[in-house]
Amino acid sequence: MTAGDNSSQNSFVLLRIGAQRFALPAALVAELAPPVKLHRFPHTSSSVSGVIIRRRRILPVYDAGSLLLGKGVAAQQIYLVARCAGAQKELSAIPVNGECEMATGEVQPPDGDRPSYVKGTLRIGEECVDILDLAILIASGPSTGAGADHTEARP
Amino acid sequence: MSAAPRSGEQTARRGKPEAIILFWVSRQMFAIAAESVQEIRSTDSLGGAANEIDQQAVPKVHHVLEWGRRTCYVVNAGAHFGLPVTRPTLVLILRGMRVAVLVDRIDRMMEIPAVYPLPQAFAGEERRWYRGLTYVDDSVIPVVAPSGFLSPEELAELDRAIKPLAPQHEMEGAAQA
Repeated sequence: MTAGDNSSQNSFVLLRIGAQRFALPAALVAELAPPVKLHRFPHTSSSVSGVIIRRRRILPVYDAGSLLLGKGVAAQQIYLVARCAGAQKELSAIPVNGECEMATGEVQPPDGDRPSYVKGTLRIGEECVDILDLAILIASGPSTGAGADHTEARP
Repeated sequence: MSAAPRSGEQTARRGKPEAIILFWVSRQMFAIAAESVQEIRSTDSLGGAANEIDQQAVPKVHHVLEWGRRTCYVVNAGAHFGLPVTRPTLVLILRGMRVAVLVDRIDRMMEIPAVYPLPQAFAGEERRWYRGLTYVDDSVIPVVAPSGFLSPEELAELDRAIKPLAPQHEMEGAAQA
């Protein structure tokens, strides 16, 4: 492994969803996209809120607020586009509030009581930020606090 | 954002340019391949061709339509897609299938360049409902799969439900003769 490899593995994008900060490995992030139109149509996939068109691709948009916090999050400003759909490696988008930054830091294993989608903790100064495994997060579905009926179609 | 995805950039295009009919159900626009629609009729014009059927197994179907030599089950598209109930005014009689679909109104017919695959993130019933997505007037529109309105199991349930009616119809026919 080269020094470059090591550096890219420890590079993260910090994003804010609701009031919380999370980290994603920078290697998975394709871009931060402006707040383009969200297209909705009926479906039953409770973690998906619709699709956006970005760079001539149709990208699914995951409802990150419901997935992480158990509720929809208002006033998200931009979309973070990343490879996050597990085996499909499909580019997908999650709405974030615009306060994104790059960071490197010491990675520690997650505490035992953390959800399965937290694959580690990034220590930045005094702050500890959960590192997300988006594939596991998406597969786990909306947080139990969402109170949503997952079987209802979503227009 | 002004253009639909181009060939080869997203995932592969499915098929080639095709004519579609855009229709509305409960403030949601859908598309269906024009070639899969045999006829569009006003619900008022169906008259005695439609008969109510009493069954609970497939709640989105309340009527059966005798059309030509076929018996078509009439699917309420709003109920099928889980949309709020409306008062449909048109029925799409699908070609070569035992299915007719109640919709609110037709928007127009047009040609689209492609149908794009539904992203894998959509993993529920919508994979049966839709052939894919298309892009019309700055909107992404789901392209419905005609075969998705009634599964083989649902058709079998409905066939079982209307069977008891058959002898009655035959008797009525005999009485009229």
